[in-house]
Amino acid sequence: MILEPLPPRILSVRRIPNADPALLLAYGADPARHRSLGLVTCDQDDPTYVALDEATKFAHVDVVFAKSFYAGAGHASGPLSGEILGVLAAADPDEIDAGLKALVRCLESDACFYGADEAKKTAVFPHVISSLGHYLSAAAGLKPGDSMAYLVAPPMEATIGFDMALKAADVRAAKIFPPPTETNFSAAWLTGSLAACEAAAVAFCEAVVRVAANPKGDVWGG
Amino acid sequence: MARTRELVAELRERLGGAAPQPPPAPLPRVPEPPVRVFPKRHEGSRYARETAAHTTALLGIGQVGTRYATDVVLQFQAELAVAHEAVATELPEDWAAKNGLLGLRSRVTHHREFLLRPDLGRRLDDLSLARLKMEAKHGVDVQPILADGLSAVACMQSGLELLASFTRACEARGLTVGTPVCARYARVWLEDEIGQTVKARVAAILLGERPGLGTGDGLSAYLVYEPAVGKTDGDRNMMSNIHARGTPPAVAGDRLAVLARAMVDQKRSGVSLELGHLVAELGDAASRHHRAPQVRERLVEVPT
Repeated sequence: MILEPLPPRILSVRRIPNADPALLLAYGADPARHRSLGLVTCDQDDPTYVALDEATKFAHVDVVFAKSFYAGAGHASGPLSGEILGVLAAADPDEIDAGLKALVRCLESDACFYGADEAKKTAVFPHVISSLGHYLSAAAGLKPGDSMAYLVAPPMEATIGFDMALKAADVRAAKIFPPPTETNFSAAWLTGSLAACEAAAVAFCEAVVRVAANPKGDVWGG
Repeated sequence: MARTRELVAELRERLGGAAPQPPPAPLPRVPEPPVRVFPKRHEGSRYARETAAHTTALLGIGQVGTRYATDVVLQFQAELAVAHEAVATELPEDWAAKNGLLGLRSRVTHHREFLLRPDLGRRLDDLSLARLKMEAKHGVDVQPILADGLSAVACMQSGLELLASFTRACEARGLTVGTPVCARYARVWLEDEIGQTVKARVAAILLGERPGLGTGDGLSAYLVYEPAVGKTDGDRNMMSNIHARGTPPAVAGDRLAVLARAMVDQKRSGVSLELGHLVAELGDAASRHHRAPQVRERLVEVPT
């Protein structure tokens, strides 16, 4: 069955209530405003970026560090490494807790990759964020509260998909990440009205499914 | 929540994916907050209990946990509502005429403006000024002015009684009293223009005072000698809390008349007015004898 959710696995969630200033600086936090850190690793990077952004909507936390690991979860450095390390920073541990709760909730019941083929070898992430938090909005050069379609797939599928998405709805590209990225996927951030973002995400997802089912298209008579 | 999952499920349906999607993981359960019942604790101090019997101030009201008891809170809200309602009430336009008073109004045109623009409430509108010049007696000793002020309720409730007792008391002390007027949307300083227009020696405005908790019916009186636009509060003498639980209107009329007499005799008012010897002239109205304990009117009943 296609388009089944591939639930992300949260590999570790930890908190440092009173982090050393040197550590804060190294991870991009501001020791004048931040004292506590919340750390999470997960085997899917893009749902985690969405969940980190979700956390900024529920608590006074900043996403100070979030980086994908090279070649993805299939080549992790350890059992807890997964594909990404995300770091929230806040003035106190309670804010971190509130942020982590929102983050975990988002990963457990909202953001996830889907299998675009029967074998689940092709993963697609056609996620719609109805209202951006201040982390992704800043990264995308948009305003908090804007709607955004967060689209990810392997390079070939994604490239066809982005084209379909941009043509299917009144959206514009806030940012496109062509391959290779750390995990060798391609990603695009499209923005427009919520309805337009939804239409774009659906068109993208459909395109990815169709490319996965028919990789050589008409050219080779497939 | 999880809008993307719905969208993808719809797409799968469209693309012919038959089997239903696994349901999303259930949301974590939010634990119910613990219910704690606090017993009501009455004020233990005997001093507070006995003091509370002699005042309408909020003393010895006890507590429940760290908060006020429900009946105290409800009473507070009810009393606040009385005050709000008093401020919101307007004096009907024909009220003055119905009660045989010369009706005037300030430059204010509606109630909201009255609350927001005190300056307009201190001057007469052109029509009223003309009426006052035409119809009022000029050159009197005392010009009484009844007005709504910040509580039309108080004005309508006990204004006429105070006006009558004040007029009687003034005449008994040999003062000539002007045509009684009634001003709508009036502020205290309106007495300056009215008194100046009729060339009265003393202008006395009796008006509803800013309501407090549970007292929407209080009147105040402000007297000024040789009223003229530009007089300040330092030129006035005033008396507040004229209501049943404060100074009753009948007694207040006497006291105000003594004040007016003193102004006429001393040819001044306000800070420089000599008040030391006035007690002797007050007679019964000076009454400083013991009053029965005051009880706050219960506006809310809570079963115990």
